[in-house]
Amino acid sequence: MRTWRVLTRKPGRVVGLAILVVFTLLAIFGPFLHSGQLAVDPDDVYAGPSARHLLGTDFAGSDVLQEIITGARYVLETAALSALFTAVIGTGVGLLAGYHRGPTDSALMRLTDFVLTIPGLPLLIVLSTIWSFGRPLEMALALGVTGWGGVARAVRSQTLSLRERGFLEAARGLGLSSRHVIVKELLPNLAPFVAMNMLLAVIAFIAAEVALFFLGVVPFSSSNWGVMLNQAVFSGGAMDSTSALSYLLSPLVCILLITVGIVLFLDAVDELFNPRLRERS
Amino acid sequence: MTDIAARADAPTAAAEVAVRDLTVCFPTDKGELAAVSHANLTLAAGRITGLVGESGSGKSTLALSLLGAVPTPGRVTGGEVSIAGVGDVTKLTKAKLRRLRGGHIGYVFQASQNSLNPLKTVGKQLLDLGRAHDVENLPDLVKRARELCELMGMDGARVLDSYQHQLSGGMRQRVGIVFALVLNAKVLVLDEPTTALDMLSQAAVLRIIARVHREIGLTTLIVTHDMGVVSELADRLAVMYGGRIVEDGPAEEVLGSPSHPYTKALINATARVTGEIGRARALPGRPPDLMSIPAEGCVFRERCAFAMEVCASVEPELARWRDERRRACHAEVETVTTEGVAAS
Amino acid sequence: MIEARGIKRTFHSHGAFTGAHVVQALRGVDFTLPPGGAVSFIGESGCGKTTLGRILAGLETFDEGELLVDGADVGSLGKRGRDEVFRSIQMVHQDPYSVLNPTRTIAATLGDPLKMVARRRGEKDKGAQQARARELLELVGLQPDGVLQKFPHQLSGGQRQRVVIARALTVDPKVLIADEAVSMIDVSMRLGILSLLRDLRKRLGISLVFITHDVATARYLGEGGELHVIYRGEVIERGPVETVIQSPVHPYTQCLLSAVPVLKGLEEPGPDRLLPKDMLDANLETPGCLFEPRCPFATEKCRAEHPVLGTETVAGVEVQHACFHPEVRNVAAVDLETV
Repeated sequence: MRTWRVLTRKPGRVVGLAILVVFTLLAIFGPFLHSGQLAVDPDDVYAGPSARHLLGTDFAGSDVLQEIITGARYVLETAALSALFTAVIGTGVGLLAGYHRGPTDSALMRLTDFVLTIPGLPLLIVLSTIWSFGRPLEMALALGVTGWGGVARAVRSQTLSLRERGFLEAARGLGLSSRHVIVKELLPNLAPFVAMNMLLAVIAFIAAEVALFFLGVVPFSSSNWGVMLNQAVFSGGAMDSTSALSYLLSPLVCILLITVGIVLFLDAVDELFNPRLRERS
Repeated sequence: MTDIAARADAPTAAAEVAVRDLTVCFPTDKGELAAVSHANLTLAAGRITGLVGESGSGKSTLALSLLGAVPTPGRVTGGEVSIAGVGDVTKLTKAKLRRLRGGHIGYVFQASQNSLNPLKTVGKQLLDLGRAHDVENLPDLVKRARELCELMGMDGARVLDSYQHQLSGGMRQRVGIVFALVLNAKVLVLDEPTTALDMLSQAAVLRIIARVHREIGLTTLIVTHDMGVVSELADRLAVMYGGRIVEDGPAEEVLGSPSHPYTKALINATARVTGEIGRARALPGRPPDLMSIPAEGCVFRERCAFAMEVCASVEPELARWRDERRRACHAEVETVTTEGVAAS
Repeated sequence: MIEARGIKRTFHSHGAFTGAHVVQALRGVDFTLPPGGAVSFIGESGCGKTTLGRILAGLETFDEGELLVDGADVGSLGKRGRDEVFRSIQMVHQDPYSVLNPTRTIAATLGDPLKMVARRRGEKDKGAQQARARELLELVGLQPDGVLQKFPHQLSGGQRQRVVIARALTVDPKVLIADEAVSMIDVSMRLGILSLLRDLRKRLGISLVFITHDVATARYLGEGGELHVIYRGEVIERGPVETVIQSPVHPYTQCLLSAVPVLKGLEEPGPDRLLPKDMLDANLETPGCLFEPRCPFATEKCRAEHPVLGTETVAGVEVQHACFHPEVRNVAAVDLETV
């Protein structure tokens, strides 16, 4: 009940949540709506929007709308998984470093610095030459393992400042174990922070994977928004003429919508997690 | 020192402040609730008034309304605050309010020792203040600040050149007072001037406040939750509870023979270095906050040892019962003043 | 039962612009805390009393001296031994809000240590743990049903402090260290907490170390209380609470007591009230008495020699002080009813 109240307090949040729900549903049920191969129509390539093809057609005459819907799953699945990996690895590293300090902290932070200094996209491009990580899980792993540096640093500094709060010292003074302190005392206080980071990471990862597909670095297996962009620009001449405009814009607009949805919903996350903010003063 | 002393002789040096039927409300989930309700308080010119109240009593809100600075989304919904020589604060334009703050009323915020910019020297911040108030003669401002510093027992030149971390808590508090008075304010309002200060620093700051009040000829209001802070300095004492003034009068009389059950209970609940230990009693329950102030009847009745039936439905009015003394209570004065500590 | 002998603690810091900085927080403090006893430490801010409290609670180490808890020398124990010893000494802080986890209910906050204690004892009964939580809440004067499912921010300061005390009681402590435990609580509720501490002494035999700058509060902790006055890391006067308040002999104690506000109308100021000459200079080190620069009665001897805490009879009263010229002065406020 309280969750509902928090969500409805600002209309933006509901809009954000609605967008995310729509895309999640698309991701889950999309492929079932258009199972099997996409219909191909060689006579009708790069057509503009019409009654039959609401968003036009692509390079093979397939319906863009169908592609958007079936492509949603890959995009969202990989982005969500990547965000999860970075959250788990980054939080783990940051928490341990911040809680234990000393040599553990130094070692973990050197590792984090290493991960942070390597430029993400170029690394991924190089990585793609030896490992084609086209499948969702593989893509998520590749993105997650290279992208947890920022979360680790941020969680570490949050942990350090939480350490100053008396309740950690009190818990140790009572004799509660380190494990208890980390899991039951620290983590719940880090949760809103990590949750927000995860949501923002999803946006970044969507951009990253779409970029990889756009650059043609990763082999594509089926309809995919990044692939659509690639085709629109390089094969459809979208940069020069308006014929493939809807083909170009459709995935872009979807990405934009998801980003907006996350950003709007983010507003509710802090309040949801923080019991203090939930009460109106 | 001559500038300041000369001003003290001027007939309009001190100003009277009259708060009449003031109500300040804040919007909440339950609608607009009053943090201050129909408050009547007069700050006599040239006197020190103490406003005593615990957390949630509305005392800080009342003090801020003297400056027209009630934090949004709160607003004044009724009554007036009239300052001699200025008019009704609640009706002033933004420009006039800006001139009022600092120029006529000096306000020293709670924990003002923490409100100095750590990156600038005190002197630079003084100049910022002057410029913000369109002071033309800045060297004169600095001179006045130095005079005030001397008055408070500090080395003016040294203080102005210091950064915030180079000064002790007590000194920073004094700097706060200097800033409040440097633009020739006639009224000085101090909100919890001695929180976070230990006994010796507190005694020193209070002595300085008394001295400055006397030398410059101010009208001073000290807002605090600690009766001890105002007991030695204040000429008049007003007690606040749940947004209402429940008692006021000459400080010595209010402390010596309190006429309101809350005042009496509060005094009995104060730890003292002398007097019988057994007489002290904590109050049951807790002070109300904005959301839990009773909507009907007397706000204190749930913790009151003298509560009667009428207290649940009719709110007592603040009424004069002796010259200079007022109380808001249904019980008879004799009952409250003569009966010993309420049976626990 | 705690015995502290010659506790010294020095802090070394290195400011970016100010160079090496040494602060002698404690210069050799001795005291004995009997079971069920109450010792209060008063002094200005920066006098070392908070450091002492933290050392006693095991949150801070000390450089020299001995700390014996129930006969066991803490310095000679390993980590496990120390953890066990300090578990029986619990701290109650000034700010109850900061020591309670804001994301956990009171039930969870009390439940964790209770579960740990039960596990150590091999007890499995969850019901017993919940019953104990309720028992403890009632012991500290709270209604269990009104508090268990709430979060810290939904309680008043006084209630929070009681929860903190209840939590401290979950591990059956023998000593409670209360560091400014009532300073952040509304005046009307302070006495309630002080009475609670007094009751815990009487009913459970828990001893108290009470650290405060408000002398008056030390009077309400029950019978047999001792007052120790600390100045810059040294105890300069000590004795039974009422004796020190009514017959102080050290000028610093007299300054502290003079600074207590007088409730005019109820009290009148002590006839001999005095002020220190100067402000505290925390960096000044001298071979003589540390208070000498601010003492209105200082002599050459005070500048040259360092007075040591000793017992003496002054004006017919046996007192313990560290002063070359002790004299009883009536500085405390006097209740008008007794006049």
